[in-house]
Amino acid sequence: MKVVGARLPRYDGVGHVTGRTTYVDDVRLPGMLHAAALRSPHHNARIIDVDTGPAEAMAGVRAVITHADVPTLVYGHLSGAGIDGDEPLLAKDFVRYKGQPIALVAADSVQIARAACDAIVVDYEELPTLLDVRLAFEDGAPVVNDRFGNWYKEFEGGLEARQIRKGDIDRAFDDADLIVEGVYRTQAVEQAPLETQVCVAVPEPDGRLTIHTCTQALYFSLGVVCAHLELPMSKVKMVGGTVGGGFGGKVDTASDTLAALAARKSGLPVKWRWTREEEMLASSTRGPWHMEIIDAVTSDGWILGRKMLTLHDAGAYGRFSVYGLTKHSFHHTGAYTIPNLHFDGYVVFTNRIPTSAMRGYGVTGLSTAIEVHTERVANELGMDPYEFRLKNANRVNDTSPNRIAYEDPSTVEVLQSIAAATGTELDGSLRAMTRGERTDDLLPDHLVGQIAQGGHG
Amino acid sequence: MTLHRGRGMSTIEYPTGMNQNGDPSQAWIKVKPDGRVDVFSGTADIGNGSKTIQSQIVAETIGVPYDWVTFDNSNTDSSPLCTGTFASRATFVAGNAVLKAAREVRGRILEIAGREMEIDPGDLELEDGSVSVVGTPARSMGVDEVAGAATFVHGELLTGDGAHLNPAAEIIDPETGEVDKPPHAAISYAACVAEVEVDDETGVVRVVKLTQAYDIGRAMNPTLLEGQIDGGAVMGLGFGLLEDSYPYYPANEHRGESMNTYHVPGMEGLPAVENVLIENPSTGGPYGAKGIGEMANNAQPAAIAIAIHDAVGVWVTEFPITPERLLAALDREAAGEDQPRREGKRVIYDEHLSVNTVATAKSWRP
Repeated sequence: MKVVGARLPRYDGVGHVTGRTTYVDDVRLPGMLHAAALRSPHHNARIIDVDTGPAEAMAGVRAVITHADVPTLVYGHLSGAGIDGDEPLLAKDFVRYKGQPIALVAADSVQIARAACDAIVVDYEELPTLLDVRLAFEDGAPVVNDRFGNWYKEFEGGLEARQIRKGDIDRAFDDADLIVEGVYRTQAVEQAPLETQVCVAVPEPDGRLTIHTCTQALYFSLGVVCAHLELPMSKVKMVGGTVGGGFGGKVDTASDTLAALAARKSGLPVKWRWTREEEMLASSTRGPWHMEIIDAVTSDGWILGRKMLTLHDAGAYGRFSVYGLTKHSFHHTGAYTIPNLHFDGYVVFTNRIPTSAMRGYGVTGLSTAIEVHTERVANELGMDPYEFRLKNANRVNDTSPNRIAYEDPSTVEVLQSIAAATGTELDGSLRAMTRGERTDDLLPDHLVGQIAQGGHG
Repeated sequence: MTLHRGRGMSTIEYPTGMNQNGDPSQAWIKVKPDGRVDVFSGTADIGNGSKTIQSQIVAETIGVPYDWVTFDNSNTDSSPLCTGTFASRATFVAGNAVLKAAREVRGRILEIAGREMEIDPGDLELEDGSVSVVGTPARSMGVDEVAGAATFVHGELLTGDGAHLNPAAEIIDPETGEVDKPPHAAISYAACVAEVEVDDETGVVRVVKLTQAYDIGRAMNPTLLEGQIDGGAVMGLGFGLLEDSYPYYPANEHRGESMNTYHVPGMEGLPAVENVLIENPSTGGPYGAKGIGEMANNAQPAAIAIAIHDAVGVWVTEFPITPERLLAALDREAAGEDQPRREGKRVIYDEHLSVNTVATAKSWRP
């Protein structure tokens, strides 16, 4: 190997650090318009009337886009996976979160575009808000999501929760010497890329659209734009691939589609660059997660079973949340093998900015919860946390929550390595452990049944 | 005021590729008449290093110098589909697509070279931009010459294409969550030890050091890898202690609207970060690679929370662990209210946060 494994400099690093890379905001075209969005000032409201007339009458305003201009108003991020869309590209009858776009204005300058947004008259009827996922199921709770209600109810088999069931959970809890319960709540955070959401949509003379995009997923965004505009993929060219930071916040295709509509309506190129305030207050965040973990353990440090309840705060619309929750459920035992499981996870809607992908999607908060809980259990048992973790660490051919055999788990190695790196002396028996398939003392009766028979379970 | 030192450790795993797979990537490659290589891939580079890593894979696989490779991911007209740069999938999934395309190109170069040198291509090897006869290295031909001959003598174009798709795993039993095949491309593992200093008067936590061990399959480019891990450590620190889009969640007010009012970690006061890399090659990734991008911010928050408990004896399980929350926990402890409820063999922490306490709609206890 000569090239793979080498400490080569970043392919485009010099351009990035000398300011010479062309990012989307560096694209400037003759006649280019600038866009601004009118956004909801309310967390939850009925829209009684929108009057765009005053904005359209302003000098320098070239196009005003509302829901009526969008050929397909609702298209879901997971429509390709058979999950219905629920979010209108522009609000029509309701706004369900503060910051939700209602109209887009393209004008000769961004100042004119913003002034025109201010001139649009919207008549709202404010509605009560739901912000606490724990209260979404109460009788009389405000309704958030017009398609799904306050929680998603269309998992496979018509289930309202993503479920994991494995082994005999009741027996595990009966047999346990100790049961430890804990509640973990992790927060929404902003992806905070240096480059805010930005695009330039260009109507071409041959009828095509070129979209300079900051998307993390060129073809996903191509699909989203084409779905809303009802165009074949041949009619749109996405230009991008060099992104000023994403961290998950640039998969949603937040700006491309609306700018494309404004470009088509005005016949001119349209740039839409979000302000830092919009990036912070209206773009998707990492989702908050409410997690309750109950572990059944033996006094000699085996985790027999886990019950877990998760409420995932999706914000007002689904976006990728069903995906994120499913991924969460698949990993809810962390780096350990727990033979008996009972997991229920809900995608819950609140009047909050829709949450979406961010680095570690579905798992960052989960890892946090699992590890704090694991430490608490070890403390309650009076057991060395390395020993407790190493004993329960997943091994080759142990099965995952959804019954897939682990091929090459490294939990044992990373634990041994971190101990060595931080001067923690492990007992010889712990140092001798390997990832290899369980035998002898590491294969007590309660784990025999969960070993995969001949590879994938 | 007293400063308390504490140490905490966490261990995590994280999947490579989209959950349940089914996320294709495609690539194609052409060779210029002087042997230089153009790669067309749809993978956005969001700072994760896709352009660098995929160029490395192509150079290594064909057998040409790295600086012979040009990478073009600039548009959807010339580049084929890539599902996207997320889910820690770019190096593994899109890397496999360019790997397959590069293998095809290598085969084509050897084929043309075989014709030129009148020798079976199976007796040729290709390294550093030069084709030579196995065992007779003096008999050789530059890839530039081969590409020129392909273009101007044989009237052919040297290309290759490749695609990679880990087939979608279906949930075959929604009651239990059982799936029919692995729902991930690979799994990466990590452990983290945080050393903290807690001020019991102000509630301010300073992370002194983070030590991290990562099994990343293969370090494709150790410099970029360390960048991911160091950057992730800082992001994990922000998640653990500082950042919150809704500081009074579930209330919706007092949101930070700028970098002045929303606090990401600054360069000042960053902890020392020490990394240990473990190479446990994946079975299906290019050159044994696994994903690393996302998990890099997953291990620190718990390690910090555990270190705080080690330092001052209280658990804070609402994140981030702000001075306000930590001081409240210390006050509860001083008042004897921080103890879990004990009932037979049950130990119940955080009861005040539970949906069973807050809501009345139904019994949530599973």
